Amino acid sequence: MQVIKIVSFVFLLSFLAGCWDARELGDISVVTGIAIDKGEHQRYKLTIEGLNASELNAKTARGDAPSVVYALEGDTIAELSQKMNAGISRKLIYSHVRTVVISEELAREGLLDFLDFLERNREIRDDFIFLLAKGRADEILRVTYPVQKASTMKLAVQFRMMADHWGGDPDVRLKDVIEAMVSPGREPVLTAVRVQGEKEKGNAVDNMKKVTPDALVVLDSLAVFKKDRYLGDLTIVDSRNYLLIENGIQLTSFTVPCRKGKDMAVRVYNASSKRKVKYKDGKPHIDIELFLESRLDATQCADDLTRPETYVKYEKLVSDAVSRDVESTVKRVQEKFKVDIFGFGEDMYRQDFEHFEKVKDYWNEEFTRAKIQVNTSVMLRRAGIRTKSFLTEKQ
Amino acid sequence: MINWIQKIFFPSKIQRKQSTPDELVPEEGTEKVLNGDIQSIHAEMNKAFGKSADFKAGELKIGGKRGFAFYLDSMTDSKGINEIITKTLSDPTAKQYRINNEEELKGFCREFFSASAYQIISYQHELVWQLLSGSAVIVVEGIEGAVSIDLKTSEHRSIVEPSTQTVVRGPKDGFVESIMVNVSLIRRRIKNPHLQFEAFQIGKDTRTTVYVAYIDNIVNLGIRNEVIKRIKSIEANAIFESGNIEEFIADKTWTPFPLAYNTERPDSIAGHLLEGKVAILVDGSPFVLSVPVTIVDFFEISEDYYEPFMMGSFVRFIRYLSFLIALVTPAFYVAVITYHHELIPTQLLLGIIAQREGVPFPALVEVLLMEITFEILREAGVRMPRAVGQTVSIVGALVIGQAAVEAGIVSASMVIVVAVTAIANFVSPVYSFASASRLLRFIMILLSAGFGLYGVLIGLVAMVAHLSSLRSFGVPYLAPVAPFVWEDQNDVFIRFPIWGMKKRPRYLDTQAPIKQPGSKSPTPPPEGDGS
Repeated sequence: MQVIKIVSFVFLLSFLAGCWDARELGDISVVTGIAIDKGEHQRYKLTIEGLNASELNAKTARGDAPSVVYALEGDTIAELSQKMNAGISRKLIYSHVRTVVISEELAREGLLDFLDFLERNREIRDDFIFLLAKGRADEILRVTYPVQKASTMKLAVQFRMMADHWGGDPDVRLKDVIEAMVSPGREPVLTAVRVQGEKEKGNAVDNMKKVTPDALVVLDSLAVFKKDRYLGDLTIVDSRNYLLIENGIQLTSFTVPCRKGKDMAVRVYNASSKRKVKYKDGKPHIDIELFLESRLDATQCADDLTRPETYVKYEKLVSDAVSRDVESTVKRVQEKFKVDIFGFGEDMYRQDFEHFEKVKDYWNEEFTRAKIQVNTSVMLRRAGIRTKSFLTEKQ
Repeated sequence: MINWIQKIFFPSKIQRKQSTPDELVPEEGTEKVLNGDIQSIHAEMNKAFGKSADFKAGELKIGGKRGFAFYLDSMTDSKGINEIITKTLSDPTAKQYRINNEEELKGFCREFFSASAYQIISYQHELVWQLLSGSAVIVVEGIEGAVSIDLKTSEHRSIVEPSTQTVVRGPKDGFVESIMVNVSLIRRRIKNPHLQFEAFQIGKDTRTTVYVAYIDNIVNLGIRNEVIKRIKSIEANAIFESGNIEEFIADKTWTPFPLAYNTERPDSIAGHLLEGKVAILVDGSPFVLSVPVTIVDFFEISEDYYEPFMMGSFVRFIRYLSFLIALVTPAFYVAVITYHHELIPTQLLLGIIAQREGVPFPALVEVLLMEITFEILREAGVRMPRAVGQTVSIVGALVIGQAAVEAGIVSASMVIVVAVTAIANFVSPVYSFASASRLLRFIMILLSAGFGLYGVLIGLVAMVAHLSSLRSFGVPYLAPVAPFVWEDQNDVFIRFPIWGMKKRPRYLDTQAPIKQPGSKSPTPPPEGDGS
């Protein structure tokens, strides 16, 4: 009796689930990159990079192309993503998407409705890097690279490293972009990339055979948006400062003049920020407090590093420079773009809700006339493994 | 279920023809008395043993009368026959002794056979019995009854290290086929008169000696009585191994899990007896059973208690983990690569895809191919003659390890999965428990191929449901985890230091729940104290 029960139990199981989503590994291609351009005839052009797995395995690689890049035009990305077999042999799986690139043109026109698909799809997860291409987006997928070979695999690693060790990449995810779009107190940013070198040559295995590849995808700038519209760029230094204000990095480096015509470099290994936004005299006051722990990485000045006074002096130099730098970034955004990409409005929402309710519809204007105050305290903890520089002997 | 099959295939009642001869077990009331008619007894014996070459009947003179000595050459000690019977009977004093009735026969025995174990028997079937168990029997003309002298040869394999449950640290002796030696191995460990061995003869044709051992002031009497009841009710014609007994006394047949613990290690059995369990020894088998058993017993080995407790606990964790690995690794692998590609890190996924490029089979076929090949190799490894042992391992390593991958029939990652599974399966200290996961693994693979991880989960849920329905002599199989017994947790996942285990398992409900009330942790003297 028991056995009959169990057998019927297992049999009934097959009504609940089944092999409908079984896909043998031999039948699938892993998509790691999606590029979305404005279509020539229809609304969108979707370009995907499907990996050629055996080329990415050291044992089976034969020197063929590491990936297949294919494009189709259509009105919805969702349909296009399933239609790709028009040119690609295997079933594409999107669960391993690493990079999504959108073109500058698309972003300028605010055609970002397809984000709904990326958010809604059960296969795609929100752990890819989201990029804006200066120029066409599909070009970004068509650049090989000697180490990771496939372009989007390279970008995923590259920007994580950049974000972790210097901070030029704002490290935004799809979720951050969408949240910033709908938030009254914040505007979205994206990392902007471009192809450096000869684009046509990037589209071949030969590009991987040169120590200086003919074409290379490089980090270009920080793209500033207002809602879903792309406004313009900030430099990657601004991008680092953006992250400092956002409390988003731990590691970065600064070069600060220590004497006229001489510089020193400090490596920041612990950074945090506190932001206060309040209304005073009918005008928002934004206070940014930065706290940096650092070590001296290099100096061109012959100062005596055995004396605490030198450290105090250096700390002062660094904190002044950082304050100036960060302040100028915020001012540039205020003047050039007039949008609050830093999310000060969200701080105000939390810190001074009543005032924010009044100004939230025109917060960007309020942000533009806000008074910015940056206070930086720098701790210079160590000076590497050499206390006395040879520069002091030279004199 | 079995009854069903019988009903379907054997609709008429099976004709039960007793294969056991009447000489051994005569029916009630038809027992033949030894009446002193030695010629007819001789004839009966000749008939019973027929053409057996080892049956010997020698005529002799005893107490001034004619007599016969019967014995089986193969079962008796020829030196003993010579020493005890021939020498005694040719002794001048014995020659002068006269036997005229049974009393005088007893007197004769007291006088001359007192050095050896003898007994007076009075039935013919007893005579047959005594011969079969290695005694020489002397019948005297005109005297009722007979003398049976125990001349059994005590030949047995010498005590060697157990071949199944080997340990690094711990006693290296193992049970052998002789039940007496096995009893002595246990007795030597537990010097306690309360340790008792009750004997039973099971098997109509084999009359195998079975001992039920327990410590009578510890054991739960209900469990002991149940064991004895079940053993007594066994109706089998032959018992060769404790496995035969196990099948007769198990609470449930339709389960891949063993419901009795079996071991070759006397220290394990001694430990179980002291916990309050019942051991079952079978003559002719080096595997001794212990009941009741719970699933946690199969993850333990006596060495756990000889190693430092932290190490003991760690290896226990490894065993639980290995059981799970052996059970679900291939199923998990199949499920993940056919259904859940998103669970695999990208680099690994690419690696697996690249390896499987050119493998012509779906993952399920590939895994079954490998698993079955492995099972064949494993079986061959056990069965093959020792002399050709090398061949199997070379062919196996080459076929499974290299050639299959190079030929592109299976992927290298599948070989790793099968190898990990195989190794994990060997971790189990009790062989018969390991076979449970070996069997269930295939069910898991089929479930995963059909339903993905959902199927694996359903399989595991069904397995746990099944486990919790099992009982071993009334004790829940998952005790003390489900039902959860807080007091017994000191010896489940973590082995507490020996001094911390003060009580016997509560789920056994023993007569003496506390085993070492005064045990304390070692306390070194304060510094500066002592000389």
